[in-house]
Amino acid sequence: MRTLSPAVKARYFRRQAADLIMSGLCIVAAIIGIIMLALILWMLFSKGLTGLSLDVFTKSMSSTGTGGGLANAIVGSLIQVGIGSMIGAPLGMMVGVYLSEVGKTSPFASVVRFVNDILLSAPSVLIGLFVYQIAVSPFGGFSGIAGALALALLAMPVVARTTEDILRLVPQAYRDGAIALGSRENEVVRKVILPAAFGGILTGILLAVARIAGETAPLIFTSLGNSNWSTDLTKPMASLPIAIYRYAGSPSADLVQLAWTGALLITVGVLLLNVVSRVSLAAVKRGQS
Amino acid sequence: MLNQLTKSVGRVVRAAAIAAVIGGGIAAASAQDITGACATFPGPIYTKWGEQYKATGAGALNYQAVGSGAGVTQIINRTVDFGASDTPVASERLASNNLLQFPAVIGAVVVVVNIPGVDGANLKLNGAVIADIYQGRIRMWNAKEIKDLNPGVTLPAVAIAPAYRADSSGTTNIFTSYLASVSLPFQTNVGAGNSVPWKTGVGAPGNAGVAAAVKNTKGGIGYVEYAYATENGMQAPMLENRAKKFVKPTVAGFNAAASQANWNNAPNMAASMLNMSGDTTWPIVSATYVLVPKNPSDPVRAANVLKFFDWAFKSGGPAADQLHYIALPKAVQDQVRKKWTTISANGQPVWK
Repeated sequence: MRTLSPAVKARYFRRQAADLIMSGLCIVAAIIGIIMLALILWMLFSKGLTGLSLDVFTKSMSSTGTGGGLANAIVGSLIQVGIGSMIGAPLGMMVGVYLSEVGKTSPFASVVRFVNDILLSAPSVLIGLFVYQIAVSPFGGFSGIAGALALALLAMPVVARTTEDILRLVPQAYRDGAIALGSRENEVVRKVILPAAFGGILTGILLAVARIAGETAPLIFTSLGNSNWSTDLTKPMASLPIAIYRYAGSPSADLVQLAWTGALLITVGVLLLNVVSRVSLAAVKRGQS
Repeated sequence: MLNQLTKSVGRVVRAAAIAAVIGGGIAAASAQDITGACATFPGPIYTKWGEQYKATGAGALNYQAVGSGAGVTQIINRTVDFGASDTPVASERLASNNLLQFPAVIGAVVVVVNIPGVDGANLKLNGAVIADIYQGRIRMWNAKEIKDLNPGVTLPAVAIAPAYRADSSGTTNIFTSYLASVSLPFQTNVGAGNSVPWKTGVGAPGNAGVAAAVKNTKGGIGYVEYAYATENGMQAPMLENRAKKFVKPTVAGFNAAASQANWNNAPNMAASMLNMSGDTTWPIVSATYVLVPKNPSDPVRAANVLKFFDWAFKSGGPAADQLHYIALPKAVQDQVRKKWTTISANGQPVWK
């Protein structure tokens, strides 16, 4: 065995120590993150589960003293998030395809990419105010469709970004091969690139859906909230985040309970979406290999 | 594998699209619904009325408590069917925005406290002391000024933690108007309004937020509409009224104040009920107001709002009693209905 000089030994131990400290810090940070999530989930389950009953799903919101549920808020959220995703996801996908396959590094694509990144990080309350100005004020009233529009604007940049990133991961050989076989550019995108990246794009869409499902600020200025059952898109519409927002600060214990239950429902829903997106991605990957 | 997944997802998307179309078709049944952006002060009673009104089958009220300031803004922007504010809106502002203002119901503001070891409901306070607390001049619950009002009560050496409304609030306006009327220093240092430059304390949103802040803070003091105190099981101290008597917050005391309001000479029906005379009178009582467009673009929706309040005047009394609000006197209700006849859409009166 070769003997090391003292200077080299000292450096070795110093590096070992630095490595130990840094990995220790990383592990602590990771544990703190996990503990936070666990605490939030624990709090939600312990406080939210007690209020979970059939009434929550079958009855609409009601004033204190006579019970009530969250049926209108759940359905309102589903409608607005559903329409928001149906508008935002295809738009975002098209932007992503343009950036990755058509525009690439052209000046216009760079501008689009830059604007998309700004949209991505814009405070959601600004999106709400924007939609308030274009879709609420001029039409004389808050409406479910305005809420869906605000959510679509929030989902679009997320989907655009992930679509572009995922498409870039598709090997260049796929494109070259398809072109060599005589495909047109649109056929390359439709029949080769998109199917190959499908799982990743789906994950991006599901993550965008999960994000907009929990948004409160853009809905306050657009769909306002509704204490009654309503599926009319031209009228104010209830949603889970707004129900939580209005009920959490309530002096009445049963409304606070409903807020906890609503928070649990959203969290579980978003968590499920995340899990589903990951599992489906894994399944797609297995299918490819 | 990939193809299958693509196909099944495609099927799900198609099913969802069809469901959405069907859902849209089922909608649009509830044409009678009205939407209001409102003060939080009358929140409990409007919600209760809305529920009872819905039970009659006449239509539903969607009431969103956003605070007086926001309530006025939304009706000015015409994004809701009616707005509500506890602060009467100035005549010029009503005129320039073509709004009609009428009182809907009367309520009382009470002080709520959370003092460990002290029965807050039997504590005695007066306007001057509360004004000093909110100016940071009295900082401890065992201060001499509070002791002098409560001989025989052992007050702990706990710091006073005042809470106030963080949003633009009619409840704040009522409360500060009262304090400014009994304390000159408060009037000059803080003044009265929807939001004022408080000298001390923490802000909380809405009546409910202040109630929660006091409930969760040792030594807390705040001001809320009485329904928030009772529904929250909070302690509301006695206050000294104009006749120098200490009174507990009771419906009788609120009524004594409401009955003295001079409705006939009040511009835009904004009659004051603050600090009225009488031995049993509660000092901080106010009406809360509803704002509707004088020239509504949709006469049917405008009429639905008036129908709702007409119903509330006729049949909303028991609910008001139950929640400790005071219904408007009959003569005032008739005065309000008369005002409604000035609302017209395309030259046609909305209310007949």
